[in-house]
Amino acid sequence: MITLTHFLVVSACIFCIGLYTVIAKRNAIMILVGIELMINAAILNLVAFGKYDKLNYSGQIFALFAIVLAAASVAVGLAIILNVYRHYKTINPDNITDLRD
Amino acid sequence: MNSLLTISPIGASILVVLLPLLAFIIQAVLGKKSTSGIWSLAAISISTLLSGIFVFAQVWNGTALQVDYSWFTIGEKTFNVGILLNNLTVLMQFIVCIIALPVHIYSKAYMKGDAGIHRYWMYLSLFCFAMLGLTISKNLLLMYIFWELVGFASYLLIGFWYTKESAVQANKKAFLMNRIGDLGFLIGIAILFNTFGTLDIVDILGKDGLLYQGIVDQNSGLMTAAGICFFLGAMAKSAQFPLHLWLPDAMEGPTSVSSLIHAATMVAAGVFLLSSIFPLFNGTVLLIIAIIGTITAVTAAIFALAQYDIKKVLAFSTISQLGYMMVAVGIGAWDAGMFHLATHAFFKCLLFLSAGALIHEMAHLKAHNNGDFDPQDLRNMGGLRQYMPKTFVLMTVASLALAGFPLTSGFLSKDAIVISAFEWAMQKGGVHLLIPILLVLVSILTAFYIGRLIFKAFFGKLRVSNLEAPALHEAPKTMLLPMAFLAVCSLFFVFSFNPFSYANSGILNGLAVQYSFTEIHALHTIIPITLTLTALLSWWLGYNWYVKGTYPLQANSSWMRFAQNQFGMNEWMEKTFVAPTLLLGKASYWFDKYLVDGLVNGASYVIRKISEIITWIDKHIVDGIVNAVAQLAYELGNAFRFVQNGRLQNYLGFTLTAVLIGIIYLILR
Amino acid sequence: MNLELFLFYAFAALAIGSSLLVVSLKNPARALFLFFITLFAMAGLFLFALADFVAITQIMVYVGGVLILMIFAFMLSNKELLADIQHISGSFLSLPSWQSILLALGFFAVFILGIREWNNDMPEWMLSNIQEGMVITPHDNNIQQLGIKFMTQYVLPFEVISIFLLMALIGAAHLSRKEESQ
Repeated sequence: MITLTHFLVVSACIFCIGLYTVIAKRNAIMILVGIELMINAAILNLVAFGKYDKLNYSGQIFALFAIVLAAASVAVGLAIILNVYRHYKTINPDNITDLRD
Repeated sequence: MNSLLTISPIGASILVVLLPLLAFIIQAVLGKKSTSGIWSLAAISISTLLSGIFVFAQVWNGTALQVDYSWFTIGEKTFNVGILLNNLTVLMQFIVCIIALPVHIYSKAYMKGDAGIHRYWMYLSLFCFAMLGLTISKNLLLMYIFWELVGFASYLLIGFWYTKESAVQANKKAFLMNRIGDLGFLIGIAILFNTFGTLDIVDILGKDGLLYQGIVDQNSGLMTAAGICFFLGAMAKSAQFPLHLWLPDAMEGPTSVSSLIHAATMVAAGVFLLSSIFPLFNGTVLLIIAIIGTITAVTAAIFALAQYDIKKVLAFSTISQLGYMMVAVGIGAWDAGMFHLATHAFFKCLLFLSAGALIHEMAHLKAHNNGDFDPQDLRNMGGLRQYMPKTFVLMTVASLALAGFPLTSGFLSKDAIVISAFEWAMQKGGVHLLIPILLVLVSILTAFYIGRLIFKAFFGKLRVSNLEAPALHEAPKTMLLPMAFLAVCSLFFVFSFNPFSYANSGILNGLAVQYSFTEIHALHTIIPITLTLTALLSWWLGYNWYVKGTYPLQANSSWMRFAQNQFGMNEWMEKTFVAPTLLLGKASYWFDKYLVDGLVNGASYVIRKISEIITWIDKHIVDGIVNAVAQLAYELGNAFRFVQNGRLQNYLGFTLTAVLIGIIYLILR
Repeated sequence: MNLELFLFYAFAALAIGSSLLVVSLKNPARALFLFFITLFAMAGLFLFALADFVAITQIMVYVGGVLILMIFAFMLSNKELLADIQHISGSFLSLPSWQSILLALGFFAVFILGIREWNNDMPEWMLSNIQEGMVITPHDNNIQQLGIKFMTQYVLPFEVISIFLLMALIGAAHLSRKEESQ
């Protein structure tokens, strides 16, 4: 029997891997991938909890919303990355340090 | 058509107020693209029509109407905004409309070609909106808001030519002076709200309002304080001594603005305010109002004698007349005050507009000849009668009204005040008689200085020399027509069909105030005759001095001797009467300028010193602490500066670390 | 161990393993292709949560849209990195930075702690739903129910999100257009 805990543990794993990707990777596209991983972990959680809500189907509905939002964020994020690349000729966030004091 | 005619007075009055606001917004949006002022003009025209047909005609002498909308709630107190339409408010609204309309038309010609004309129309519409709103507010808070808006619009218009240093100074002065009064108004509102728990004029002062239910003793110190506070507000707005200093300076604004705001409507708002909350005042406050009004009337009339600037003469004259209205309120005959307000609005507006026409022509003359003279200075004018006969006639009508000659409206309203004052003083007896006697004196002075203005400006010869050809001509039609309209309104039949008795005038009957004093019939004949005779005398005197007295200088030798003689008499007169009067005028002006201003300046000096000390404390102690904290923060920040390396991922990492530490803290707690 | 549980573990292992590889590979192109597998595995996991429609959407949107977009963007923009692919030398895997590892592990520990605590007190709505049998079963027609819910209960968020998606797409197109002046 697959319990809720199974899902939660898997999603925790995926989330932490995504977190690591976001912080450690030196490539903007990979950072985006990390974000997608984190979103996917969240969606997994939503779906897992949604199993217990037959009345409203809120888990699955909002999982779908989250997928749509993730797609939108990817589209915009990639557009930004393209612009950044055009401007700095690199997509390594380490080389883009205009925010430094 | 029927449904159009049955538009309710309330709706119409709201429309009257909102139309100028609409014009203001449209003008603000259009900006420089719209310089014709057609929006403002259209708005005020429709407002005037609505106000006249659907508000004034419906409500006047009918039942008072009122409507309330709840606005917001603080705690348990709900603030209402309401509209009150009774005889007083519709009269005031109608006066404002009917004065504003000619001024708008006049402005079209007068302000033509000015670079900032789009601003002019914008401000003018804003002013109309605020002023019209002020008149029909039922709630003191709403009234206060409009009151401030009116002051603000006036500020904008005084400083309309903001590149002129004096204009900027003047509007600053006006604004600051008005703030003193507004503060009084606000405190008064606070006291009322604290006492009655509402700011609704009808609820407090109506027939069986809270005021009469014994919540508070009307003669108590608190109510006296409230009354004085409200009067302070009216004092600043209506330029009463010693807060009148801003009004002469306010003449820096365009003349059309002076005529609308600083002669007819806004400055009268103080009188209107006092009239609408009249039951609030107890005997002490009323006496103070009467005394201040008298002082204002006398001093301003004396100042007006010594002025050479045509607009300043009129400004002081306005102050003096406002003093009259204040006296009327102070003696309890506020209906007479409102009556004088109405008549004064017309003829003083006309005086200003005529003066504007004169200044306009003089400025043209100056520009034509590259002359170097002040176009507003009376000493440079003279003989303008030949060039501008129509203006001369119109201005003379207004002057006669101001001087209180029979057949004019000024005669009626001034008599109403002076006679009421006499009756009131007779009732009280003793020192109180000084007030009406001073009023009579002011009336004589008024006749004299306005006569002086007319004679100096229109008679004799043009005193500006070195001109090739004085290319002066009549004012354009768009300026003359509004002036003609106002001139007609300065005559008696607009207000009363009986030219010699104010008792039949519609306004006094409509407002119907119960006087506290008995009528003395003899006065009703003696006073008008005295006033007329003295006015005639002073005009004759003025004519002799200013018209005849200057002729002999240019006459040929055969006239010389006689002229010399005449001149000698003139000189003697000059020495015995004019010089002391002028001296007195100058002395009072000096007193005004140095003592009253000095007092104000002294106070400001003390405040400046105190503020310097505070500044020192602020700088060295308060700032010191702040700086120390800032230094600490700076050092800390410097220590952690490596954090700010501009790498997004580092920031994210730090953030997440902080979140993690926070969560761990929450778990362990 | 029944088949269901076995498949679940298999999918979970596939998802976690492939995502670990995604983050540890040095070559971004390879990592992106591995990301396919992660997403497929996640879709499989959704199936086990009885969310078949979500799983299909995941495949369609992510695999069909997002990933393609990423790969395109990567190939369009990153000439420098594409060039780097040729001479990536040394280790196959990138070295992890210890701070990030620490942070990720810290979060993981907190999550696990939270999940352990969680089992002790479930929220009330879940308990009552389980008791009343209001739980999605494998026999339910999910897609029909979702359609009804979208058009009735959740119609406002649905419309909002549609507009939002449109805005995001227009924004993305605007951002990535070539500026003619330069």
